[in-house]
Formats: sequence, C-alpha cells, structure tokens
Amino acid sequence: MTDVHIGDAVRRVEDQRFLTGQGNYIDDINMAGQARAAVLRSPHGHARINGIDTSRAEALDGVLLVITGRQWLAFGMGTLPTKTGVRKGRNDTDINEPPRHCMAIDTARYLGEPVAFVVAETQVIANNALELIDVDFEPLEAVSDAVKALAPGAPRLWDDIPNNLCIDFELGDLEGTEKAFAEADHVITLDLENNRVTAVPIETRGCVGSYDAATETYTLYNATQNVHANRDMFAENVLGIDKQKLHHVAPDVGGGFGAKNSAYPEPPMVLYAAKKLGRPVKWINTRSDSFLGDTHGRGQTSRVQIAINNDGTFLALRTETVGGIGAYCWTIGPFTPTGGSARTQGGPYTFPAMYYRGRAVFTNTAPMDPYRGAGRPEATFQTERIIEYACRKLGLDPVETRRKNLMPPEALPYMSPMGMDIDCGDFPLLFERTLEMAAPDTFAARADRATKAGRLFGFAIAPYLECTGGAPKEYAGVQFKEDGAVTLAVGSHSTGMGHETVLPQLLAARLGIDFDRIQFTQADTDATPIGGGHGGSRGMEVGGNAVAQAADEIIVKATPLAAHLLQSDAAKVTFADGSFSDATSGASVSMTEVIEASMDQEPGFLDTGATFERGVISIPNGCHAATVEVDPDTGAIQITGYWVMDDFGTVINPLLADGQVMGGIVQGIGQALTENIIYDDSGQLITGSLMDYGLPRADVVPNMVIDYYEGAPTKKNPLGVKGAGEAGCVGALPAVVNAVLDALKGHGVVHMDMPLTPEKVWRAIRDKGAHDPEALMRDAC
Amino acid sequence: MEDFSYQKPKTVDDAREAYSASADGLFLAGGQTILPVMKLGLAAPSAVIDLGGIEGLRAILVTDSVVSIGAMATHATVAASGDVRQAIPALSDLAGMIGDPQVRTRGTIGGSIANNDPAADYPAAVLALNATITTDKRQIAADDFFVAMFETALEEGEIITNVEFPVADAAAYAKFANPASRFALAGVFVARTGNSVRVAVTGAGTCVFRVADMEAALAKDFSATALDGITVATENLNTDIHASAEYRGHLIGVMAKRAVEAAQTKGGGK
Amino acid sequence: MPKISLTVNNKPVTQDVEGRTLLVELIREGLGLTGTHIGCDTSQCGACVVHVNGQPVKSCTMLAVQADGAEVLTVEGVSPDSGLNPIQQALHEHHGLQCGFCTPGMVMTATALLKNNPDPSEADVRHGLEGNLCRCTGYQNIVEAIMAAAKTMRS
Ligand SMILES: Cc1cc2nc3c(=O)[nH]c(=O)nc-3n(C[C@H](O)[C@H](O)[C@H](O)COP(=O)(O)OP(=O)(O)OC[C@H]3O[C@@H](n4cnc5c(N)ncnc54)[C@H](O)[C@@H]3O)c2cc1C
Ligand code: FES
Ligand code: FES
Repeated sequence: MTDVHIGDAVRRVEDQRFLTGQGNYIDDINMAGQARAAVLRSPHGHARINGIDTSRAEALDGVLLVITGRQWLAFGMGTLPTKTGVRKGRNDTDINEPPRHCMAIDTARYLGEPVAFVVAETQVIANNALELIDVDFEPLEAVSDAVKALAPGAPRLWDDIPNNLCIDFELGDLEGTEKAFAEADHVITLDLENNRVTAVPIETRGCVGSYDAATETYTLYNATQNVHANRDMFAENVLGIDKQKLHHVAPDVGGGFGAKNSAYPEPPMVLYAAKKLGRPVKWINTRSDSFLGDTHGRGQTSRVQIAINNDGTFLALRTETVGGIGAYCWTIGPFTPTGGSARTQGGPYTFPAMYYRGRAVFTNTAPMDPYRGAGRPEATFQTERIIEYACRKLGLDPVETRRKNLMPPEALPYMSPMGMDIDCGDFPLLFERTLEMAAPDTFAARADRATKAGRLFGFAIAPYLECTGGAPKEYAGVQFKEDGAVTLAVGSHSTGMGHETVLPQLLAARLGIDFDRIQFTQADTDATPIGGGHGGSRGMEVGGNAVAQAADEIIVKATPLAAHLLQSDAAKVTFADGSFSDATSGASVSMTEVIEASMDQEPGFLDTGATFERGVISIPNGCHAATVEVDPDTGAIQITGYWVMDDFGTVINPLLADGQVMGGIVQGIGQALTENIIYDDSGQLITGSLMDYGLPRADVVPNMVIDYYEGAPTKKNPLGVKGAGEAGCVGALPAVVNAVLDALKGHGVVHMDMPLTPEKVWRAIRDKGAHDPEALMRDAC
Repeated sequence: MEDFSYQKPKTVDDAREAYSASADGLFLAGGQTILPVMKLGLAAPSAVIDLGGIEGLRAILVTDSVVSIGAMATHATVAASGDVRQAIPALSDLAGMIGDPQVRTRGTIGGSIANNDPAADYPAAVLALNATITTDKRQIAADDFFVAMFETALEEGEIITNVEFPVADAAAYAKFANPASRFALAGVFVARTGNSVRVAVTGAGTCVFRVADMEAALAKDFSATALDGITVATENLNTDIHASAEYRGHLIGVMAKRAVEAAQTKGGGK
Repeated sequence: MPKISLTVNNKPVTQDVEGRTLLVELIREGLGLTGTHIGCDTSQCGACVVHVNGQPVKSCTMLAVQADGAEVLTVEGVSPDSGLNPIQQALHEHHGLQCGFCTPGMVMTATALLKNNPDPSEADVRHGLEGNLCRCTGYQNIVEAIMAAAKTMRS
C-alpha cells in the first residue's frame, strides 16, 4: 500500500510512459483507413479573395476533397462565437463581434487564415495539392499595430466597425483617481509595451476525426486543453448537431499554456471531411503554421500613471491599454486587454483609487487568446514598472517604497478598487522573506566582482498579486470496482501539470486509501458530464476541490456501513486518517475495509459524482526577486540569481508546484529577453520560426530558488488552495526587467521595452537613457 | 519534400560523374543546412549525391605546420580532436561553438564553407587562418574562395576534398551569438603568424570579410588596445530584426578585442 | 525505392524507403516507434533526437537512407528490461518532465552527453542541452536530474 498525504512530493505516475516513449500524443494516433488533411493559409495579411479555382488540386491523383470558404458557408456551417466575460463597454456600448467562420469567406484578414482545406490519401499528396489551388487574391491595405488601427483613416478590417474597435472597456473609480491625481505631490507617466508573444508548446496542434454512420456520432481526438467547451462550440455552433453526437477526447497533450484552449477552425473541418468521406481524417499542424495560426498572447501598449507623494505614498493608479486581438473575437480574446488586465492592477499595494481603461482592437494579425496569465502578467508588469520608474524619477528607494505601500495583513479582507476580494495573505512577510533569500548584504560584494569583470550588477524585487480564472464548475467522479481498483474521472485537464498524480494523491490522502489503486481519466466528454478543462490556474482550485468534495461525500455514504461493521451507531462514528472509529468502544475499521464491504451492497453503493462550484476566485500572491549582470560592451544580459516566495494557500504537492513556478518563470524570462512576435505593416510575420523567435534554452536560465508560505490558506474553497499555474509568468517580467534597469542606472537608463535585446541595452547605454515616456500612446490617449 | 534519386558513391570521381549525369544534382554532406532547406521546399534536387561514402574525406592530419581537415570531418570530430586542439586551439573552440551537439554530430566543414552562410562560423577561421581549400580540381586560396552571400568560387559540380590551415602563432575566435538561432550575429577570428595578422569577420556582413585596418594595427602591436578607435564602415553590414548594421559594427570592435585578448592568453599553437 | 538495412534498438530492420524519407519518418511511421517526436520543421527543437552509431542526431534532419548500415537507438531502446535507466529514473525523481513531449529527446541527448563526459559541470550540462527545447520545465529540474544521474552512473 502506498501511503500518500497532502503536502507530499509524490513522484508522478505519468512519467513512466513519457520517459520510455510510450506517451500517446495526437500524432501517435492513427486510425485504420485514415486520410490526411492540409490547410491552405492566406499568404497575405489582408486580401480580398476574388475567386478560388480548385480544379487542378482536385485532379491530382489521391486528392479526396477540397473545400473553400464559400463552400463551407454553403454547407450551412455556423460561426464560432466568443465566450468573453466582458461584453459591455463604456457608456453601456456592446461588444462588436464580427462573424468568425472556420475559413476566410471572401476576405482573408490575417496571414495564415485558412482559405481552403484539402484531404488526400497521404500527407505528401495533400501538401502538393495546396500548391495547385489557384486563389485570386487582391491584397488590401493592412494594419497590424493596434494603436495605428485605432487612428482615424486606418485601414478597416470590417466595413461596419469604425476605428477597428471591438470594445472600449473601463473599470474602477475615475473620479477618485482624478481627484488623487490633482492632489498628489507627483504624477508620473510611462508608456510601455507588453510585447506580443506566442506559447509554442513543443507539440503542435492536431486532431484525428471519424464518423460512425450507424450511430451518427463523431469522434474527435484533439490536442486541446478543453474538450467539453470546444465540443459544444464545434457541435452546436459550427456543425449544428446535438453535442451528444460528438465524442471529444484529448490524448496526452504536449503542453498548452493557453494556445490549445481555443476553439480552432481545423477540427470542425476535419469532422466534416470524415463524415463526407466516410473515413477518418488526420490533421497535424506544422511548427511554421503554428506561428501563423496559433493564438498569440500579451501584445499590449499602455499608458500607466501613478499619483505619488514626496514620502513615497501611493495615492492612485491609472492605466490605459490598447490591445490588438487579431481579426476576430476568439474564444476569450477581447477579455484579456479589458477585464483580464484590469483586475489585478495595483498588485498587493494599497492604492486608494484606481482606474483602468482597455480597448480591444481588431488588427491583421493572428488571433489573440489566453497565454499563461492572460492579463495578470500585463497588470503586474504595468504596476511594477511604474513604481520602479517613479522611484527612479523621484530618487526614492525602490525596496523601501514598495515596503511602505504593501497592504498589511490587518487590512485584509479588502475589496480592491478593481473589485478583487483579497481575503488573506501576508504580503509584507513574503516580501521580507524573498529579500532575505536574495541576501542583500552580499550585493555590494557581488556588484564589486561584476565590476571587476567589466559587468554591471542589478537587482529587483517584484511582489505580485494574481487571481484565478477559467470555468467555475468542475466534476469529479469516483467508482469502486470489484477488483479493488478505484477510478477517478475529472473534468479539469492536465497538459503536463501532473493531474494524473496529484488528483489521485488528493483522493487517496483524503480517503486514506492506496494511491496505486486509483486509475485516472481526464479530458473525455464521455467520462465526465461536465468539464472545465485547463486554464486560469483552476486545476487544483476547482478540479482539486471537486475531488475533495467527492471524497467527503464518499465518507458520508460510507459512515453508516462503517457503523454497521463496528456494530455502532453512525452518529458515534468519526472518520480520520483513513479509518472510521467509535470513540466509546475504541474499535475502528479502515476505509479500505469499508470499501471491500460495500461490494456486498447494491452495485455502486459508494460511487460518487460530485460537482464543485467556485464562489469567488482566489488570490494567489507572492514575490519574485532577481539579480542580473549586464555586459555594457555588448548589451548581453545574464540572470545570475532568482528567488521566489509564493502563497498558493495549501500546497498539495510541492514538487509539482515547483515545476509550475519554474516553467512559468522561464516563459517570463523568454518574453522579457528574447521572445517577440513582430509583424510588418503589411501583416507579414517577421519572426515566424524558431530561427527568429527566441525561445529560452537551458544555458540562459538561472537556478531558481522557490519557497512557499502556507500560513494563509483561503477560506474561499475547502482545500484552501489558491492556484499555482500562472504565477511564475506573472512575477518574472517585472523582476527581470527592473533588475536590468537597476544595473543600468549608472548610465541613466530609466526604461526599455521588452524584449531587452542586447542591441536595445547597448543603445540605451550609448544614448545615456534618452527616452520619451509618452511616445507610444500619444496618439491613443 | 519532392522525391529524388539517391546515390552514395565511393570515390570522388564517381561523385563527380554522378553529378554530371544528373539533371539537377546536389551533394549531400552532413545535411544540416540542405535538409532543412529541402524540407521547406526551397531546394528540390532531382538527384542527391551523398558524399558520406567516400573513403578518406573525413581524415584529419596534423603536422607541425599544417592542420588538414577532410571536407567530411564533422564539427564534433574537429572539436574533440586532441591534435587539432594542440595545433590550433581556436579552431577546435570554433567547431565546438557551432549549433548544438546534434548539429555537430552531422555537420561538416566542407558543407559549411561550400554553403557560405553569411552567419556561419567556419568561414571566419578559413579566411583568418589563410587556409587553402582543395577540391577535386584545384586548390583555392581562402581570399578567393568566399565570393558573396551563399556564393563561393566553387564551380558547378566541384567537390571540396579538404581544407588546409597553416598553424598560426596565436589565434582566437570570439562569437556573439544571435539569441534565437545561435548563428553568429558577429564573430571575429583573429590569427597572428609571425608579424602578419589576419582578422576575419562573419555574421555581420553579407559574406565573411577581412578588416585591413585592424590587421595593420595588430601587426604593429598585437594587443586589444591597438584596436582602439578603429571602426568598421557600416554601409556594408546587415540590418535585420536581430541587429542593426550600426550595432553589428560596434560588436565587431568588441569581439575583435576579445579575440585578441584570448589569443594572447591561450591562443598559442605550437 | 532504396532498400536499407540497419539495426534499430539492436533489432535488424530491412525497409524500402524513398530517397526523401526522413529518419524520423522511418522510425515513427515505418517502424511505429512513436516515442521519437516531431516538434518543429526547422531542426531546432530536439524532440526527435536519436542516436546513430552512438552519437546524438536530429532524426528530422537526416535521411533514412543515410542510416543504411547504421545502429540506431531510440528512447524505446534505452531502458533496462525492467524499470528505468539512471537518467530516466533521475528525471522522474527530480520532476524533470511535465508534458513529456521533449522528454525522449532529452533522454537521448543526456545519454550521449554523459557518455562523452561522465562528470560534467552544470554549465556543461546546460550547454549540452542547447539543441533541446523544453517549454514546460524551465530546464532546472532536467539539469539537476542529469547531474544526479551522472553521479549515480559514476559510482
Ligand atoms: C539547428 C542548427 C544550428 C546551426 N548552427 C550553426 C552555427 O551556429 N554556426 C554555423 O556555422 N553553422 C550552424 N549550422 C549549420 C551547420 O554548421 C551545417 O552543418 C553546415 O552549415 C553545413 O554543413 P553540412 O555538412 O551539414 O552540409 P550540407 O547541408 O549537407 O550541405 C550544405 C551545402 O554544401 C554543399 N556541399 C556539402 N559538402 C560539399 C563538398 N564537400 N563539396 C562541395 N559542396 C559541398 C551541399 O551541396 C549543400 O549545398 C546550424 C545548423 C542547424 C540545423
Ligand atoms: S523535430 Fe525539431 S529538431 Fe527535429
Ligand atoms: S516537458 Fe513539456 S516540453 Fe519539456
């Protein structure tokens, strides 16, 4: 029997198959008789499609099917609607939501937008057929930059949408903020950019679809993060079928980080073709096409302003953001630059007044949808950058100033001006501990050593405040089998985070049963009636609590049987540490024994399906700190130290939590230093391959020291967990960028936009920090 | 990728013949450049002639005065060769900086210089060390070999068989890598033999090139400070999303100094 | 179509392949060994790393015909009959994998790295992973695992 507890660093069960090459990813799935698909994508950022001639492609031996946008429309296929939570803008205006079809209809609005779909006997034939499709494109003027897209006279993506504006959103207290701005000793303004990036999970997307004519049921294996929600979209919105007629399963998924969250256009085309051809159809994306058609993230231009007094007291924060969301409203695309980036403005500091305005803007670029953090990294970056900048401008000490303004624990619970219910935590404690870990007393010596080697030493600390998100409901189903196996099916979804280990760990610990007996299922629309998939750091917060709730219900059901076995009375029997006991008689019986005994009851006696619904989202928080060394001759940056204290509430498995934090930090480091999605003015992607898009590699990332504060479990959910999946990304951007700027302070450098390429650093030094703080948003505010 | 006929001749003569006999032939060495190019559909030869079966093309021979490297010697072998390291440590260092371990397992010196990627590392060594390129037809001096971006003095169907590097008194290579691709954003190879100094720059221009002013200054005084104030004209340098011509020009200066310093401390050959 | 003979994980294999067939295609589609993955089309990611004659290569950047007569080792061939080898075991212990997609390439690269350098420094290991991208782990636990495996294998 394997005993596991909450808080144990249980090693993962899924590792065995991944380490030996036995994982079952989408490209490993092959169905008898399958045909292969390929997608013709727009080579233009914006172009009218005057006609498509598919005859040469259709004539190619082995080509089975060619579909164009016009045909797709004629089949009666529906559109993919947005599920954004923000639908109302300022002055009660409605969101502009143009129709999003799976294929471009008459106009292609971004490079890589599907224009035609081919199915053939082999991949080679399908790919060759793409080259035989003659499309009469008439290139149109494009606009890829969101600020430019808002300007009067900018090319329009949609005839009926003025200024390319999807939604103009606001939150907070404008009047209070303006008043504080009028009264403060200083108002400091900084325009900054949160560069556009993309998730690049190492496995590209792909799917295999089939259709069973006898039952009129489709089956879709899909590298997705979200089987239930996307099933509903594909079935009900696009194909116009009952959702019961689509069985949607995700096999092992090779990373997602948000980029496999959305309802993408290819799976419905695959399903249509599978039915039409009466044989399974497989489509696997290439990396090159992933850069064009996978969702991107961040990509915001903002003006951030702080009202601050001479003594460093913060009075108010105001942020105006413009975010390009691509040509359509994707699954939650319009949410990120609006509500998603508003909520955690101000971080863990006391800001008596705050105001946020975010405009989501249509651009001729790939779609924007969640990327790890979706709004919180942006908000934290904006907050921490304006604080650091203000300190530099006013000669205030950045550590002291932050310390002074952190919300004290006595102030909690606190409803932030952005509507966040900040219930618990100890921000000053985490701040001090992080600082201690970084050992500031060694900085002078480290700076000295760096100087001797011709480098500049820098340090920054960045507290962060997070919030969870994603679908609020989750289901966990537990069944007990005759042979002793216990099955656990959960609707949340791991694309690498380790649910297959940690959720059984939780169930085993809660029930006191053998961990090895639990068989785990996820990401299958037949296995759970509902499922919220993956996103918003919800796995443990919602999925974990569903498992805990199922365990608690099982205990309740088992108690009368235990009492019977103990020849006692249910009211007298208590459950603890895996056993039911009767305090009066001292007798006890284990859960395992009760489960065995339950096999003599009616079938499924203890089987339980529990649905947990989150009330209020929880508030993970913590603090990052980094040291860097900069080579002033070349501008090269090396991160030399990295420390984190996180408050995720109760930590169920610290090993897995570490993994989430490290992975998130390195994605943040990537964005801060090397990753950048760049489009030119015609909507061509300049950084569309791993030769130009710089993913972090092993030799550029530092060793990270991570610790947890578990003194403030949240009462918002029974497990007391706060969500761990995105926090690494949230804290890393300001920690790294501010540390580099600290290193350059002797050269007068006060600001640089990400990514901090060596050339930018070198130029900033050469130009002695010359910088226009209002350059980016002058035309947009 | 379009299909092609595949041949693996055993001699250089057979390889040349196979090439002449094909409509659109292509030599294949390590494949670390040409296969990615073919996968993206940017080259579609009718015949691929694999040089991997030819005896002797992988040989590395080191004497007191010359390091001779067979065209098919891989970056990994050159990086690991004790003989090369002893004679021209900068050359092993350079080979060890190319790409990643897997690329070094397969990629070859012949392929690298035949390809003449403007950001490749080997061309800098070949030019600075004043190497001689031997082909199936003739010998070509380094100064005549690298013609323009992806262009060399090689004629149609000409096969590089080996590269001979005279052993220098001191040499070093300093590379500033492109953070994304890890090719050279600017790489400078400096070699001193007696009173003569050669400085070759890769990554910064459309083709590897020498810097006469630096060579003259270093010939008088082989020290980093001798390079103070020497700038490289930026008109002919590359500007792309990774670096401007101006920055590349600056990097050349920094990397040249670092190469000189390294050559002074550990770059000595014999 | 060229016929090639090679050994894959010590088993002799004879196959007809097209000239253009990549080694990774032979391994995944021809032989059904799907542990070797494809993560890119520009030879950058390293998800496809296998050994050819004992050295690590990107199997997406080598023709199958070039492996004629060679000994090929894939992730399916590195474990002892029961359980995991020291590198796999260390990756498991140190949580050096999340989604697992890069993992086979990491295992093969690490195996070659420790064969060529049994006592690497941390910098050696990080440098040795230059051709392998991982988007999940942030590399730290992979590096720790390889260092730990090196220690186990030396003793
Ligand atoms: C991920 C990655 C990273 C890389 N990083 C770097 C780097 O940092 N620095 C760097 O310099 N390079 C780098 N390279 C390129 C690498 O060094 C290649 O190995 C090299 O450029 C070409 O050598 P090859 O043997 O692979 O040649 P191939 O790709 O086989 O051939 C290249 C060209 O040369 C021709 N050719 C080959 N051999 C001969 C010969 N003997 N005679 C005549 N013509 C011949 C071929 O016909 C072909 O046109 C990288 C490659 C990859 C995939
Ligand atoms: S598949 Fe990416 S390097 Fe081979
Ligand atoms: S574990 Fe997911 S890419 Fe490495």
